[in-house]
Amino acid sequence: MTEQTNTTLLPRGVDAANFQQAIAKFRALLGEDNVLVKDDQLIPYTKIMMAVDNAEHAPSAAVTATTVEQVQGVVKICNEHKIPVWTISTGRNFGYGSAAPGQRGQVILDLKKMNKILHVDPELGTALVEPGVTYQQLYDYLQENNLPLMLSFSAPSAIAGPLGNTMDRGVGYTPYGEHFLMQCGMEVVLANGDVYRTGMGGVKGDKAWQVFKWGYGPTLDGMFTQANYGICTKMGFWLMPKPPVFKPFEIKFENESDIAEIVEFIRPLRIAQVIPNSVVIAGVLWEASTCNTRRADYTTEPGATSDAILKQIQKDKNLGAWNVYAALYGTQEQVDVNWKIVTGALKQLGKGRIVTQEEAGDTQPFKYRAQLMSGVPNLQEFGLYNWRGGGGSMWFAPVSQARGSECNKQQALAKKILNKHGLDYVGEFIVGWRDMHHVIDVLYDRTNPEETKRANACFAELLDVFESEGYAVYRVNTAFQERVAQSYGPVKRKVEHALKRALDPNNILSPGKSGIDLANPF
Amino acid sequence: MNQPTNNNMEYEMSSLLNSAAVKRTFAACFALPFVVLAGNAAADGDGVWKGGENVYAKVCGHCHENKVGPVIKGRQLPPAYITAVVRNGFRAMPAFPASFIDDNSLQQVAEYISKASAPAAKP
Repeated sequence: MTEQTNTTLLPRGVDAANFQQAIAKFRALLGEDNVLVKDDQLIPYTKIMMAVDNAEHAPSAAVTATTVEQVQGVVKICNEHKIPVWTISTGRNFGYGSAAPGQRGQVILDLKKMNKILHVDPELGTALVEPGVTYQQLYDYLQENNLPLMLSFSAPSAIAGPLGNTMDRGVGYTPYGEHFLMQCGMEVVLANGDVYRTGMGGVKGDKAWQVFKWGYGPTLDGMFTQANYGICTKMGFWLMPKPPVFKPFEIKFENESDIAEIVEFIRPLRIAQVIPNSVVIAGVLWEASTCNTRRADYTTEPGATSDAILKQIQKDKNLGAWNVYAALYGTQEQVDVNWKIVTGALKQLGKGRIVTQEEAGDTQPFKYRAQLMSGVPNLQEFGLYNWRGGGGSMWFAPVSQARGSECNKQQALAKKILNKHGLDYVGEFIVGWRDMHHVIDVLYDRTNPEETKRANACFAELLDVFESEGYAVYRVNTAFQERVAQSYGPVKRKVEHALKRALDPNNILSPGKSGIDLANPF
Repeated sequence: MNQPTNNNMEYEMSSLLNSAAVKRTFAACFALPFVVLAGNAAADGDGVWKGGENVYAKVCGHCHENKVGPVIKGRQLPPAYITAVVRNGFRAMPAFPASFIDDNSLQQVAEYISKASAPAAKP
């Protein structure tokens, strides 16, 4: 039988004989259907949104495991043949690399089929899930079982999952929006095949794995996030009790220059937990894109969109230059008191138009923002990709203090660089307790090679210029992970590589993740 | 303490139901998004696809019923075209491997979309 296969592509440093032996062992372990080498089976894993050639992130094979024992077996085979495996959970890391491996030729270990919701405790508000569980699945589970708990998730909620999002330190929009902060207990398959449980997970007969994070001695959970020291096969996390009253609201601000004042207005309310959720301050183009506005509706001129057009869109779509989304949660009495504080502070600020759910009705983008803040999955935010079209997206996400002057500076800097490369500032600030995730979608038409080249140069310049000003991103796509690792300094990298040598001496687990790769001179 | 309700519709709608805008919406179009959710409320927490309509509601419909992706129902698109787009992705549309939507479920959703009538117009 002849079949079209990807036999010409091999993982780095692996010869054809070792690769074929490993594939044969994978087949014996996982079954024929779970070892993918044909081009048509691998194509879904090569769809990326980054401004680099697909070939740079093409896998040599993909294997799907369904049990922890199988993951242990995969790791054993990889050690025997020095095969690098790039692990994905639901594989939906859009704008950060999607499902594709960080380096060309790596074998994908796809854990989507491990999709059991192992436990949800309605009284303690905890969950324990496998890697392939999506937020939609977990949402449906809560609904079907009438559990009064609320999810927090990133915008691609319906098809992404809690384990993968938390392992990459993603954020959401509820009071539990800092997802790694709400993580409690991991099970990790190490490169030597050991199954390590963090926190209380190693204690025989323990019942506190999902309620007490720290356990005893070193607490290592964070070490496994955005890293390549182990394969997470189970994760516990906390779920917020669904409040009796949920009151989402928006505040629209007229001018781009209002950002500093907005941040100064929000910060004390957020730190004091008057507003308990991860507030969003969304720019006009983010808002416009998510309510079905396309650039082509306004101009066919190439390059950056003019401020005059941005103002026209703002007017036509009844948007703010900045749009703050927040919510209050609790009993009616609690919400009433906090509402009084928020509206009082806004009155003192003297600008900003407040919009309630009663006023917004069923309109977008208010509707999907309210859903995100109350844990109802949707994919409305993919409207961003329609702004320019063509499927190009890379998240540039520098961290900032929650301080007006800093946010103002970052926004102006980012816009200048994006416009210089003929692209637009499509950004929002997600307010943590004291920090901002300044999230900017570098959107470009990936079907246009010239624009793709510009987007890549733009992203590189954003990283360089922000670094020179003392800023760095919290997360990045796989094409730029080595570059970003440099921003954090050599000592951190030496420590990370010492850990890698100790835990994964054959360098089999996702080499290159966050710049950690034993091929590096650290 | 009153147990908070867990019905997403009621939760979302509790503050909306009294608004004039929502009353008009209900009267005009029978609130299609809520009907779509309610019609597929049975046992999806097990992570097993329940046929073409189910896959459409839980994955495709999030974009293709909400003006994020183009309308694909009511166009008699060939099932082979739909399965190819799902596996390859297309422009901004993500690709879905067999681990996410198995071959059988993909075939079912492709046939469902191909035969379905166009969604009712929304306001």
